[in-house]
Amino acid sequence: MTQETGATAAQLKGYSPPGKPTLTRCRSPEKETFTCWWEPGSDGGLPTTHALYYRKESSERVYECPDYHTAGENSCFFNKNDTSIWVNYNITVVATNTLGSAFSDPVDVDVVYIVKPNPPEKQTVTIMEDKGWPFLRVSWEPPQKADTRSGWITLIYELRVKLEEENEWEMHLAGHQKTFNIFSLRSGGKYLVEVRCKPDHGFWSEWSSTSYIKVPDYFHREKSVWILLTIFSAFIFLILTWLLHMNSRSLKNCILPPVPGPKIKGFDNQLLKNGKSDEIFSALMVSNFPPTTSSNYEDLLVEYLEVYVPVEQELMQEESKDLHGGCLKCERSTSDSDSGRGSCDSHTLLMDKCGETKEEGRHTDRASSRMLTEAQRHQKGWEKDTLTYAHGDMVSPDMSNGRVKTWPSVFSPLPQYSSNPLDKQSSLEMAKQHCLSTSSCLTQPGHSTKEALGPSNWDFCLGNKQPHLLHPQTQVGRQLQAHSEVNISNIGRKQAPAGLQSPALRSTEYVEVQRVNEEDLVLLQPVVSGCGRIEGYPQMPKGKDYSKVKGVDSDNMLLLQREVMEEDWCPGVDQEINGGTGNCYTSSTVNTTQKPTACIHTAMPVQGDMALAMNGYVDTATMCTLPTC
Amino acid sequence: MPKSVYISFAVLTLVYMELSMRVVTAPICAYGQAGCHAPSLADLFERVIQQSSRMHGISSDLHSELEQYFFPRKNVLGKHKCHTYGILTPDDKENAQRLGREQLTDVILSLLAAWSDPLSQLHRSMSQDQNQNFNDHSYSKALEISDMVHELREGVAIMAEKMKLLGVLGNTMGYISPESLVPSSAFTFYKQGELNSVDHHDLLYCFRRDSNKVKNYLQILKCTILPGLDC
Repeated sequence: MTQETGATAAQLKGYSPPGKPTLTRCRSPEKETFTCWWEPGSDGGLPTTHALYYRKESSERVYECPDYHTAGENSCFFNKNDTSIWVNYNITVVATNTLGSAFSDPVDVDVVYIVKPNPPEKQTVTIMEDKGWPFLRVSWEPPQKADTRSGWITLIYELRVKLEEENEWEMHLAGHQKTFNIFSLRSGGKYLVEVRCKPDHGFWSEWSSTSYIKVPDYFHREKSVWILLTIFSAFIFLILTWLLHMNSRSLKNCILPPVPGPKIKGFDNQLLKNGKSDEIFSALMVSNFPPTTSSNYEDLLVEYLEVYVPVEQELMQEESKDLHGGCLKCERSTSDSDSGRGSCDSHTLLMDKCGETKEEGRHTDRASSRMLTEAQRHQKGWEKDTLTYAHGDMVSPDMSNGRVKTWPSVFSPLPQYSSNPLDKQSSLEMAKQHCLSTSSCLTQPGHSTKEALGPSNWDFCLGNKQPHLLHPQTQVGRQLQAHSEVNISNIGRKQAPAGLQSPALRSTEYVEVQRVNEEDLVLLQPVVSGCGRIEGYPQMPKGKDYSKVKGVDSDNMLLLQREVMEEDWCPGVDQEINGGTGNCYTSSTVNTTQKPTACIHTAMPVQGDMALAMNGYVDTATMCTLPTC
Repeated sequence: MPKSVYISFAVLTLVYMELSMRVVTAPICAYGQAGCHAPSLADLFERVIQQSSRMHGISSDLHSELEQYFFPRKNVLGKHKCHTYGILTPDDKENAQRLGREQLTDVILSLLAAWSDPLSQLHRSMSQDQNQNFNDHSYSKALEISDMVHELREGVAIMAEKMKLLGVLGNTMGYISPESLVPSSAFTFYKQGELNSVDHHDLLYCFRRDSNKVKNYLQILKCTILPGLDC
């Protein structure tokens, strides 16, 4: 009764029977005794005792562990008398406390298969020499407890070696032998050696204690190797040098290819060596360079772009803005002799750019023709004006221009102009100015500068403030389409009576640079005039009219001065279309603050008239539409 | 022209080598007959111990294979015994050393004799097994160990004769025939159940242990008779 109440009282306090213990392992060091260890479960809060019981094979008799102390805590040691080999032990551990007991899972043990010997003993490492090369000899003894002498246990050995500074061990299986040789030592290295053993069917022992050994320096051996290496490499080096020397020339050409020298016509090396500079430079001079006035004007003339910029074409202009003056070519010119022309005139350039913007051009074309009367031409930048339209067909009479050409490179560097009502008209003039500027840069005094009018040169002298003479070309470039010009003029005239709001109405006036004469006078030729020529009426321009450029003011506006007006001329109409006239040109308006009082074709000399131009062009047509005309 | 010279030269070389270097086989005669190259006792022991070690290894493999397919038994053999329980074998070192070399040799021979028949039936039985628990390797291993048992038995017999010849082994060998010690039908000893199906697992467990005994006894015998570097 008391026992039960004691038990229940203990239970009420939260105590419980012990947890199940587990047998962790059993080991025999020499196959003559063995030990089993167990892990106790929870003790349930009460003092718990453990007991080990075993049963031998084919016997029902249960024995208890003879020795709980020799092998330490939670262990059972079976001595020689209690140990039988090749007999199956069925072992169970029981944990008991006041509340109850717990049985572990039984484990079957045959001592033969649980042998784990002690590590080998009396390990020695010595250095021995074999024909001058050292090697390590490791020897050891089997563990004392394991009886290998009678053959009861047979052990196999394994050793491992490493240098002191290394991390990885080098393993060697030694079999049944008790000595081992290690070769290929590093001179002066310090080695660590360890050995372990295992019975035929059992577990590996722990590694023995480490032995340290230091290999002496066998420097002389290594030195000979270095000597050999040095000789060999020197030999190789000599061979390479000889090879290089033999092939030096071809190698040099391969690595450092010769830079081609300049091939200048007329350049004589001998002259240079002689050292007479006058002769050299005179030899360089080609007699007919730069080409003089005898050369063909047409080769040098640049086409103009006639631009209509209606207001609602801003979108289009936005799109085409990035072409920066790129051409909206409508004319499918196929071949371009490209004589004297630069990239501006390049037929391929035009083809590329015109192909892109053809569609846009059509739209702008139609719209622009409708919006010609638009007086407000406050454009964002005049470069947008320059590329408004092109058109492919001449059918529509509304089409303003049969051909639109441009100099993209010329117009791109002029972003500073903006919001100018006369942008269109002045753009042409400004382009002209740039052309003229560059031409002045390149020409030398006394030389005809016609050749410099090639548009390829026109990029360079941007903003050059040299005064130029704008001479309205009497001869219209044959590349110009006369009827288109007449169209423009017609349209311009149409608009003029409708309401001459500003000279910007007419956006297609332009002047063509014919040449620059000796006095740096740019000879301009207006290609549009209100001279009333009808379409298709071919007429050669007669004579030359030109306006002298008084100067260029700060806004890059060309100040024109009207001078001698020669005979009436009309822009050559119906010029045959050159095959190569894929030019793009832009016309722009002239920002004339002071309108000239005479038309060109009236042949009245106008003195002191200033026609301010935004660019290098003089809008003679503008002048023509003045009341005096 | 040079090609044919090379070919003929190679042929000549091969013919010469064929004629000059001949592999000569020398039969091993345990009884030292004339013309035989008789092996030494050390050689015999070496071969025998190697053979027994290999036999034990194969039987261990077979047994562990069976362990995989069967769920591990709590009670190995259960209430059953090995059919060689009649053969008294020393179960520790002192007993083995106390037994003496002649008796030890007898025990070895008895064990080997007891297992000859069951192992040869094992292979047949495994192939007929309904459970199909064995793969091809198991079959070949079973066949191998049955052959090995026969060879080992003959080898130990030859060695015993040699030892007697050398005077190492006394003539007091009372070689008891295994029939008195072992059940008459050893193989049927392992039959269990109503269906009389043979428990291969028990058989192999017993054989593994007995082959270990054989190996160990041979090693003790060797180190007793020929103490040397290996012992």
